[in-house]
Amino acid sequence: MDIELIEIRDFLASHPPFDNLPEATLATLPKRLTVRYLRRGSSFPPEDEKTPALYILRSGAIELRDRSGDLIGKLAEGDTAPSACDDRRIQHSILGTASEDTLVYLLPCELLSKLRAEHPEFAAHFDQSVSERLRRALDSIKERGPISGTSLMTVRVRDLINAHLVSAPPETSIEQAARIMSEGRCSSLIVMEEGQLRGLLTVRDLRDRCLAAGLSPQRPVSEIMTHTLHTTSADTLGFQALITMSRLNVHHLPVLRDGAVIGVISTSDLVRFQSANAVYLVGDIHKAEDLKTLVATARKIPEVQIHLVASSATADQVGQAITAVTDAINLRLLELAEAELGPPPFPYCWMVGGSQARREQSAHSDQDNALLLAQTPTPEQAAYFQSLATRVTDGMNACGFIHCPGDVMASNPQWRQPLATWRQYFSDWIERPQPQALLNASVFFDLRALHDPEHLFPSLQRDILRKTSENRIFIAHMAANAIKHRPPLGFFRNFVLVRGGEHDHSFDLKHRGTVPIIDMARVHALSAGIPDVNSLERLQMVAGSAALSRDGAANLIDALEFIGTLRVRHQADQLRADEPPDNFLAPDRLSALERGHLKDAFALIASLQETLGQRYQAGRFA
Amino acid sequence: MKQDVLLEARRRWIIYNLPFGPLRDCYAHPLPRSERDYRDTDYLALDLETTGLYPAKDQILSFGWVPIDGNRIRLEGAQHRLVRIDQAISADSAVIHQITDDQSARGEPLREVLADCLRALGGRVLLAHHARIERGFLAAACRQLFGNEPLLRVVDTLALARRSLERRQQAYRPDDVRLHALARQYNLPQMPAHNALSDALNTAQVFLAQSAYLDTGKPLLLHDLLT
Repeated sequence: MDIELIEIRDFLASHPPFDNLPEATLATLPKRLTVRYLRRGSSFPPEDEKTPALYILRSGAIELRDRSGDLIGKLAEGDTAPSACDDRRIQHSILGTASEDTLVYLLPCELLSKLRAEHPEFAAHFDQSVSERLRRALDSIKERGPISGTSLMTVRVRDLINAHLVSAPPETSIEQAARIMSEGRCSSLIVMEEGQLRGLLTVRDLRDRCLAAGLSPQRPVSEIMTHTLHTTSADTLGFQALITMSRLNVHHLPVLRDGAVIGVISTSDLVRFQSANAVYLVGDIHKAEDLKTLVATARKIPEVQIHLVASSATADQVGQAITAVTDAINLRLLELAEAELGPPPFPYCWMVGGSQARREQSAHSDQDNALLLAQTPTPEQAAYFQSLATRVTDGMNACGFIHCPGDVMASNPQWRQPLATWRQYFSDWIERPQPQALLNASVFFDLRALHDPEHLFPSLQRDILRKTSENRIFIAHMAANAIKHRPPLGFFRNFVLVRGGEHDHSFDLKHRGTVPIIDMARVHALSAGIPDVNSLERLQMVAGSAALSRDGAANLIDALEFIGTLRVRHQADQLRADEPPDNFLAPDRLSALERGHLKDAFALIASLQETLGQRYQAGRFA
Repeated sequence: MKQDVLLEARRRWIIYNLPFGPLRDCYAHPLPRSERDYRDTDYLALDLETTGLYPAKDQILSFGWVPIDGNRIRLEGAQHRLVRIDQAISADSAVIHQITDDQSARGEPLREVLADCLRALGGRVLLAHHARIERGFLAAACRQLFGNEPLLRVVDTLALARRSLERRQQAYRPDDVRLHALARQYNLPQMPAHNALSDALNTAQVFLAQSAYLDTGKPLLLHDLLT
């Protein structure tokens, strides 16, 4: 091959499906191509091209319409058009127009079939559906990463723990247990009886419950061990174990395989893999004695996101980890406020809304919260809750969780109410829905109790879900709101233009990417009366119902994870560069491959929005 | 039409006196007829990198060509050929075409490359950007090696660009009609400059765009594009 056609070879090599071809095959392709120019407005495929071919867009843009004139797709640089090689009818069933001046490469059909026969990976592009392609892209994202193989994303708990199980029966004396731990050089001891897990003893238990408490070391370990235990399984990813530990604020978890204990995973096992992590941040937060310390700790949250992204965590994992830290700060602020103001006059529940409730936060999220009071307060009692809420929301603000722009915060007296008033609020929203009011209230339909010692929340939640699942008009309004944010299907047509100026050359990954999916997940969950608030969990719960097929749910989950992961990555890049993170991604930061997958994700969202709209007749309220 | 007849007579006259060889083979093809539709005509986009601008004293360093059948570029026929020359390449010109003495030393004799180029040109219109250079150097080389100049029909993308600007009475700077400015104007990909094949391909792509824009649905003849 002439070395100069390398430019064309490189172009092919950077676009799917040609990126799957071996170098030697790629090098032979340019010479087999024919080049044509389509003036803007001219028809595609060109009328004077009688032989079908595979069309590859080199520059420009083409709109494809079906026979009824509906737009079915837009092709941009690097895209291949549906080929008439297999089925000549395609040539006549698709009516295309060059919407910009366009240069196309034509690859002969016989060469295409030869390539497909010889290269299965290449062929897969033509055989797979859009959703299959997206799923594979997501899989490769999860596998990729600078330290894949040794990252917490890929390592299993069984590979992290000590192979030798150190255990003792419950009647063992504390002194003897301490000796076993010392000999085994371990920081915890599994307490077992007849092969059953009874408890866990840690160095901290020895210190706090024995030495500091003045208990005799001759007493049995069962008196100082932790009885109620959370466990994890051998096949759990290191990452998930980390999340569990940070959520529970524990440092050790017994590991089970087929119901039998095989060891203990500790945070120090994980720390070998991950230095800056949520568990340690949460630990520091629990120890923080004042706001200043909390603020200093909260400053490390961006590092958590950077670190997680570097170890190829997905958006869900980043969201879980960061929300765990946010929850800890929020709880610690409540404790500090109560310590200062004295115990509350009667029980209350601190509720969180929005992304914190859904466990989908990223660094620099804002705060949404509210108070559920056990009874109607007297003016003095109201003053107490006023100070409590103000301290906590201001504290959160100081820690970087800025005040909610819509003032949906517990510091606002409107959102500090007894159960009866909250029931009334929800009745108004659900039984007499007003589009605008609902939009503002959407944050309350992702609601989670963060601090609720007297279990006030479940009865409110049951009430809400019963009302939402019974009220079709309300669901129709929510559905209409959910399909208002459309994915930018036409986005790719614009960004191939280098002419600049007139177009905003970036894309809002949140409002036009993840929000439409989160909104749909909410509608489905409320309609089915499902208490989960995390979007992935909601979608998993409704999957296979009449409202959302198993495939549809799986596709939405993949699309949410894909776009969400692009978003947390984009933000991690900005955080690393010391820039304030945002949701605006410039398309030139995407590889051609990612661009293709993003386009697939948009197509999936749009089609499921369509389905949702039809099912709930959202059109009547849009 | 009248010109077609005259040219054809001239071709027959010259071929009669030409010795056998590549130039005569090239002459054996009838010239593309100017009254035919431009889409039924075949072209060869050609670019030469040279040591300077004067065919009388400068030499050809490389050839790049790519055939166009009507309105389709056929990359299959694309060629890039380096020529071995007998003089040192001046630093100034090497900066432009990036061909060094060493590379040139690995090139082929001019006679072989020229012969292949003439073969590719047979029956085709010569297409070049600022065709005076390609035409002048081809003529000088053919005269020197094969005893006569080739008889060619020529389309010049630079002349087409100027003509369309002048027809609209639009002022322009020399930079506006350079190959890369035109490629940008027509939304074409930017190939690396100053490589004979890349520039031949750039020229071919610009020509597809120019002819597509001149094509208003009425018959567009080769005659309307000729220089």
